[in-house]
Amino acid sequence: MSKPDIKQSYPEHPSLAAVSIAFLKVSLYGIGGGGGLVWARRITVDQQRWISEQDFADIVSLCQFMPGPNIVGIAVCVGTRLRGAIGAVAAVSGFLLIPWTIGFIVGVLCLQHAQNPVLQHILGGISAAAAGLLVATGLRMMLPHRGSPAAVIFASLGFLLMALAKLPLLIVLIGLAPLSIAAAGFQIARAR
Amino acid sequence: MSDPSILAALTARLALLSSISFGGFPTVLPDVRHFVVVAHGWVTDQEFTNYFALAQSIPGPNMILMMSFVGWKVWGLPGALASAVATFGPPCTIYFASYSLWDRFRDARWQETVRRGLVPVTIGLVIASGTVMARAADVDWQAAAVTIAAATLMLSTRLNPLWMLLAGGTLGGLGLL
Repeated sequence: MSKPDIKQSYPEHPSLAAVSIAFLKVSLYGIGGGGGLVWARRITVDQQRWISEQDFADIVSLCQFMPGPNIVGIAVCVGTRLRGAIGAVAAVSGFLLIPWTIGFIVGVLCLQHAQNPVLQHILGGISAAAAGLLVATGLRMMLPHRGSPAAVIFASLGFLLMALAKLPLLIVLIGLAPLSIAAAGFQIARAR
Repeated sequence: MSDPSILAALTARLALLSSISFGGFPTVLPDVRHFVVVAHGWVTDQEFTNYFALAQSIPGPNMILMMSFVGWKVWGLPGALASAVATFGPPCTIYFASYSLWDRFRDARWQETVRRGLVPVTIGLVIASGTVMARAADVDWQAAAVTIAAATLMLSTRLNPLWMLLAGGTLGGLGLL
């Protein structure tokens, strides 16, 4: 239905294998909650230049509103954007098939052994670095919007309500989105 | 544990929960725990916690892996596969349908307004998840320094972030964190 439009807007669409391999990397490199986002942005926006910073931010917003693992949603949406439905299948298969198989086997083996302290320390160090990467990815995404006071205010409010007030993500989203959209509407109307 | 109705019940419940997991799968973890630990006793509380910690530290689709461990415990390999599919299948369909709809109105004026409003809030939430993760991971000042160094390097250099993960893991393994 909307597939021809997608292809028209991105004439040099990548091969299905390239899309699949890109999300295989996103999956294998992304450790811990939110880790995949760091790599999805780095690979699709910075390295391959398949989609713009704005398109990526759009997709992340949309995925936050939908049920399910957000990073799988990013794979579905980027795949669809690049190659339509078949692109979504390629992205999700790349993301899931090999990493799931490896992770499942490793996991079942680990569960049979007691918690190894050295392993725990290694994982702790990786998590600390991964947290820094996620913060940096958010700041990178903010760069194009730093000139807009409303954007800075609503980004800060979202940050404060979730990080400091510790409200659930969905509550923050439902509370702030209408206000932020209204502010954007006002800004656009005034600019015309 | 070989009763097929158990497999069907687990799969159906996971498919239902994944379809309503607005805000990400972790939001329905308490419901999953209630179903498999409290209501049915298929998994112990300790096992459930172990699955979570393990899934968080393995690269890859962590929530899908965690549900696969639950499925593995309840019904072996078929249970693991069915649980994985029930966790990602329904959301994938929903993501595809909503993105196709969103993409069709790409040039509509209202979408420009919605986009400009939503994106900053989303970005604030991404930065917040990073700091929430940091609070859990940064057990001492050395770990906090690793977090800050990783963020700074990623912002100011083109260095591959894998090096920062490797450095964090090495420092941790040497007992320096």
